[in-house]
Amino acid sequence: MCGISGIMYMNGGRNGVANVGSDLVKMLDALAHRGRDSTGFTVVGEQLDEDLIVRLWTEDAEAAKDVLERVEEAIGRAGGVVVTTRSWGGFFRLTVNYEGEVSRLAETLMTIDDVVIHSIGEASEVVKDVGVASDMDRDHHIGLMRGTHGIGHVRMATESKVDITHSHPFWAYPFTDVTVVHNGQLTNYHKLKRHYQSMGHRFLTGNDSELIAVYLADKLAEGDSLESVLTQSLDDLDGTFTYLVSTKTGMGVAKDRWAAKPLVTMQTDDVVAVASEEIALRSVFTDEELDRVEPQENEVLTWSV
Amino acid sequence: MVRIDAKNLSATEINRRIKDAASSADEIKVVNPQARHNIAVGVLQPCNITIEGSVGYYGASLMDGPEVHIDGNAGWALGENLMSGKITVTKDAGASVAASMRGGEIVVGRNAGARAGISMKGGTLLIGGNAGFLTGFMMQKGRIVVCGDVGDAVGDSMYEGVIYVGGEIGSLGTDAKVEPVSEGELIELWALLEQHGIEDKPRFRKIVSEKKLYHFDKLERLEMSAV
Repeated sequence: MCGISGIMYMNGGRNGVANVGSDLVKMLDALAHRGRDSTGFTVVGEQLDEDLIVRLWTEDAEAAKDVLERVEEAIGRAGGVVVTTRSWGGFFRLTVNYEGEVSRLAETLMTIDDVVIHSIGEASEVVKDVGVASDMDRDHHIGLMRGTHGIGHVRMATESKVDITHSHPFWAYPFTDVTVVHNGQLTNYHKLKRHYQSMGHRFLTGNDSELIAVYLADKLAEGDSLESVLTQSLDDLDGTFTYLVSTKTGMGVAKDRWAAKPLVTMQTDDVVAVASEEIALRSVFTDEELDRVEPQENEVLTWSV
Repeated sequence: MVRIDAKNLSATEINRRIKDAASSADEIKVVNPQARHNIAVGVLQPCNITIEGSVGYYGASLMDGPEVHIDGNAGWALGENLMSGKITVTKDAGASVAASMRGGEIVVGRNAGARAGISMKGGTLLIGGNAGFLTGFMMQKGRIVVCGDVGDAVGDSMYEGVIYVGGEIGSLGTDAKVEPVSEGELIELWALLEQHGIEDKPRFRKIVSEKKLYHFDKLERLEMSAV
């Protein structure tokens, strides 16, 4: 099944950012019945002095200290300067000053054994773990994360295995700030994956949803607009999908030709929230009179901060 | 009147209280539904249920007899398998409203999602606004009335029954065709709309099955000897 949700403060809250993390926790908790395998978040838009936010994970939590040393060394080797680090239970968050190609930094990080990149972004970061949203809030303090927008996912696995790496959101390696959450299954996944691999793209997992992120990021990098890229995906992706994408300044949704996977939206002048079910929207909007809109088949919606 | 505050109750408990109240009270009011799933399910006797707020999936499903009024939106599969009685929702309904409905009446104040009236087997589904993709998909009996527009593939693979559309038709589904509407039918439809407070009098178009898709001309083994 799976549940997805997203929220964007279009005019910014106080100081330009809002409590996107706690909003997403509330919405994903309300959707916990749609998937309890794992939960994940992308939060975007906190103003940082550093160039990049790097989110990493190692399975060997006990060796975290050694791993972090190797990570810092690798970033240095790629020409970056680590400004801050946080490490807990095998998860790492680093902020880095880095002027070079992000692909070079990503490739260098990939040479470290036992390290998985969850995201590299100028403004966005991915946090994902097994368990439900309230567990994740406890372990990762999602509720304290502020930003302009964010997306989230609760997973009931149908494709690929249940572990932290195969949880959503999927970051598009090695592009900054493009992440995707997806409800559905792609049936032309292997064909498209081979196509993108032949173009030199790299995939970090065996999950079909990662392909959507790479597909979108590749087209966005060519200069297409978010709306245009999402519209093209309706023809290029086969299967059932309602997915959400977040970029540095935008958020978008695309729904397949069968309208097979649910989504509803609510919007005020300042805030738009989207979710698989109204129950999640009601957890952030208390105004009973607010209209709910259900996108239909082959529909694409985009918003920007 | 029995008032049930759904806020801190499980869906099972809400439904148990509704069923208990249905045998002793005429009027049941459910408050704080918070768009949750499976609210007012499986009530099998006449009673009046008002739900103040939106419901989630399968709202007022598996019903036989009650009149349910929902002041808000409904999620997917509102009124699934309704046998008799009436369900009204003031705002929008999600996909698959009235799925497999067999009798009674379901009225959606505004728009309905995809697959409205899927596999409908009787009764009336009235939609005040627009209906989505695949409206009346595999419909077998009954009547769908859409005052606004319908999306693509309306009436796809329908066997029997009728779909009336007041606005634009996105496209006809496989084996569906438009048939002329008689004045008598229009008058009957307008009376239905008036009964539900809809003042418009659209010149409805009527969609029925072309009946080219299904054939039951292959004889069963026992029938062969009779020919």
